[in-house]
Amino acid sequence: METAAPPRPETPTAPASEDGPVARLGGLRVSLERNGVRTQVLHGIDLEIGRGEIVGVVGESGSGKSVMSQALLGLLPATSRPVVEGDLQAAGLDLRTASDAELREVRRTHLGVVFQDPMTSLNPTMHVGRQVAEKAGSAEEAVRLMRAVGIPQPERRYRSFPHELSGGLRQRVMIAMAVAGGPKLLVADEPTTALDVTVQAQVLDLLGSMRDELGCSIVLITHDLGVAAQVADRIVVMYRGRVVETGSTRQVLEQPRHPYTRGLLASRLSLDSDRTRPLWTLPVHATVPADEGCPFTARCAFRQDGCSAGVPVLAHVPAEDDGGAAAAVGHEVACFETARVAATAAGREELDPLPPLPEVGTGAPLVAAADVACTFQVRDERGRRADLAALRGVTFDLQPGESVAIVGESGSGKSTLLRVAGGLEKRFTGSLRGPSGTDVQMVFQDAGSSLTPWMTVRELLHERVRDAARPEREERVRAILDRVGLPDAVLDARPGELSGGQRQRVALARATVVPPKILLCDEPTSALDVSVAANVLNLVNELRRDLGIAVMFVTHDLAVARIVGDRIAVMYLGRIVELGRAEDVIADPQHPYTRTLVDAVPQPGRTVVPLAGEPASALDPPSGCAFHPRCPVALAECASTVTGIQLAAVDGRPTSDVARHEVACVRTGAAR
Amino acid sequence: MVRLRFLGFRLLSLAGLLLVLSLVLFLLQEISDADPVAATIGGNASPEAIAAARERLGLDRPPVERYLAYLGGLVTGDMGTSFRTHRDVTTDIATYLPATVELVLFAFVVALVLGVLFAVSSLLRWPLAGPFRGLLFVGSTAPTFLLGLVGLVVFYQLLGWLPASGRGGVTDGPTGMTLLDSLLAGDLAAAGDALQHLALPALALAVGPALAIGRVLRSSLTETLGSDFVRTATSKGLTEPQVLVRHVLRNSVNAALSMSALQLGFMFGGVLLVEGVFTWGGLGSYLAASLPVSDFPAIAGVTFVLGALYVTVNTVADVLQSVADPRIRVS
Repeated sequence: METAAPPRPETPTAPASEDGPVARLGGLRVSLERNGVRTQVLHGIDLEIGRGEIVGVVGESGSGKSVMSQALLGLLPATSRPVVEGDLQAAGLDLRTASDAELREVRRTHLGVVFQDPMTSLNPTMHVGRQVAEKAGSAEEAVRLMRAVGIPQPERRYRSFPHELSGGLRQRVMIAMAVAGGPKLLVADEPTTALDVTVQAQVLDLLGSMRDELGCSIVLITHDLGVAAQVADRIVVMYRGRVVETGSTRQVLEQPRHPYTRGLLASRLSLDSDRTRPLWTLPVHATVPADEGCPFTARCAFRQDGCSAGVPVLAHVPAEDDGGAAAAVGHEVACFETARVAATAAGREELDPLPPLPEVGTGAPLVAAADVACTFQVRDERGRRADLAALRGVTFDLQPGESVAIVGESGSGKSTLLRVAGGLEKRFTGSLRGPSGTDVQMVFQDAGSSLTPWMTVRELLHERVRDAARPEREERVRAILDRVGLPDAVLDARPGELSGGQRQRVALARATVVPPKILLCDEPTSALDVSVAANVLNLVNELRRDLGIAVMFVTHDLAVARIVGDRIAVMYLGRIVELGRAEDVIADPQHPYTRTLVDAVPQPGRTVVPLAGEPASALDPPSGCAFHPRCPVALAECASTVTGIQLAAVDGRPTSDVARHEVACVRTGAAR
Repeated sequence: MVRLRFLGFRLLSLAGLLLVLSLVLFLLQEISDADPVAATIGGNASPEAIAAARERLGLDRPPVERYLAYLGGLVTGDMGTSFRTHRDVTTDIATYLPATVELVLFAFVVALVLGVLFAVSSLLRWPLAGPFRGLLFVGSTAPTFLLGLVGLVVFYQLLGWLPASGRGGVTDGPTGMTLLDSLLAGDLAAAGDALQHLALPALALAVGPALAIGRVLRSSLTETLGSDFVRTATSKGLTEPQVLVRHVLRNSVNAALSMSALQLGFMFGGVLLVEGVFTWGGLGSYLAASLPVSDFPAIAGVTFVLGALYVTVNTVADVLQSVADPRIRVS
């Protein structure tokens, strides 16, 4: 029932010669069995990967992008009894009919894979060098590869176990393994999602240089258009098992022609997102997928009656739409309303500005922490007793009703600070004043595991309003549900039956049904799809304005911090290195580390210069300013300084001024 | 070396556990109403003879001194004299221990084989996996002695395939283990005889542990097979046996290893009952004879030896685990 949009010009099928594509998917359909139910995951994918090309495959969860990458490697899990139809070729081999021996041979010599989480993707009980050597063929070659991907002292690291390496080094090991044997095609499935921002930039950079040196093609699977934009030559946007738009990176980013691509771009947070208005969001997934018609219809702003009549196929974007014949080559979109979309300016309709925030008082702070330090006894990677310095002297305050975002990489102590401020962590030195008990509520990254699985949403919410009179309880529960934008039908569901975004809303409802004085949020959006995350951020902003709640929001993402925080505190290795109003910190970063973080935010149309080195270990913090080993403007004295680690105002405002901008660096301003 | 420190730590805690065990046994002996004097020289001896015997047995000294003497005896291999046999308990145990150890070790091997078969057959969906699993399951729910009795009725009484009692094989070899001694003597017929005698009691003892080990192994194999690094190994183009041996097995044995050690420990307790059913001349029979006459030195000796075996087995398993998984260290 595929109704033709403008007919697709005939493309001659390239012969499988040396100049032909490295991989070709033709009308690829894949269905998998999950819990005994067979679902069609890919609905006819046409895609050719050219020699030496980096193709970014972008889509939200459920788009089928990971299944496509597994199909490309012949790695579809046998337990889900995959049925594959259509054309599926990689490195000159028909993967559908290939024997096991042929498959192994092509994987060993022509294919390479980099998975999302290098910790779980490496064998924990085998030396990393041996794991590389398994594909490279010899120990010498493994060491050479490890050096080539930038692992310092590869001979020594050869005998390390994965848990003895940092996240960035582990991913480099994966890449060394993937490029062993000089593959023709590298498949990288969310290779940077589990990594810190500065390390993400390094890994993307490395992938790009591997292509340049080896001439291999790369399929980069990611949920983040910004990541794809950084290294990809071409972008493929997938939605519900179909390609909805494809074109050169510039075409897709600058002239997006599919409403979904536009939605992804518009809901993507950047450092210039408007903070005074709610974030623009794509309507969330319709729970029941449309059986026929364009799968995007339910979420589409351009939908018309005709859209449900058939499924649009990929067709070339007419040249005149694209502002020039040259620009349109290779730009294809699957949409009935291309012309109307093209005629509408990209971007998004303006939403009403948020109501202004009440003036933040300068009176008694809700939380006042002075020189708080927190050290945990742990075992290091070799099993020796060691002190982990999670917080190393933090002075910090939170005013009633204000929102402070705490930004940092893993190991910076941001979550510990949150727990200390909320009274959940008692093992600290220094002084702390703050509310406790029900005045503090917390929301976590994984809403699934923070909600009791066998309780219904009603029971979860009622638990918190037990003090209220019986008839009043249900009323309040329904009121908060309405506020967080969930239908009453959700009341009888259990957390397992809800989507990730819905679960996070329930967690927020539970935390605010009795408005606390402080809401503590620990990365509540980092596991969610872009459009869902924007929804949750809007909700946090709305709740604090309407209920007058102060918010501490921990995140690794500066763009998120800028949206939710009136102020931003940047942490590095247990200390706050910069603190100030969000716009000041982002627009005029004073600390070299903050500047690096700002630069590392993947943003279409901007080249990222990655910062060398790994985040330092909290087990063995460098002396003086902990950032000095990585700092581009460090002086010799930075290793021994004691003055540069204390926050000092840079804008001459008194310490009583909530809006002051403070930085802990002797080289303040030198980074410019 | 961290590995050595780990080993040292484990050995130290082993010694500590044995010390506690000896203390418990000593205290039990103190509070029990068994009268060692009456047991050694008879119930109606003269007061002088009793006093002399008390002095000879060291019963007139303070408890701390007596404990230290007891402990010193344990260290030097002196566990006192049996009231019943009037021989050194150490000599008695040395006589009966090989039979018990042989039965337990053989049963343990059977349990391991059955357990691995159970795990692998149900993972690979072999045709007979279902009936095998059912049989093992039914077997493991029955008490050990019942299993032994059923085995006797079927294989001895009805089929006449296997002997009902005793040990068979070479009985006066150097190790005291009939199967091993027969093999050492190169006497295959005797080895076959020993094997026939071992089969039923070993099977009765092994069925429960086999299921426990098999279940743990199966679930950790299933988990490992679905893990990301196995996917990585496959994507490298390794063959299936390479993936299984290099990547799956080592990451799956840990839980099964500690379960095996636990079961082996339990088997040293369970063997006492099985020995009774099959009149197996091991520590179980010795203990069974010592219990009714309150032969405390013998009871304490057997208990200490079995306890020491139990603790040692678990320590060895701990060390093996740390070899299999480098992430496990002192904790």
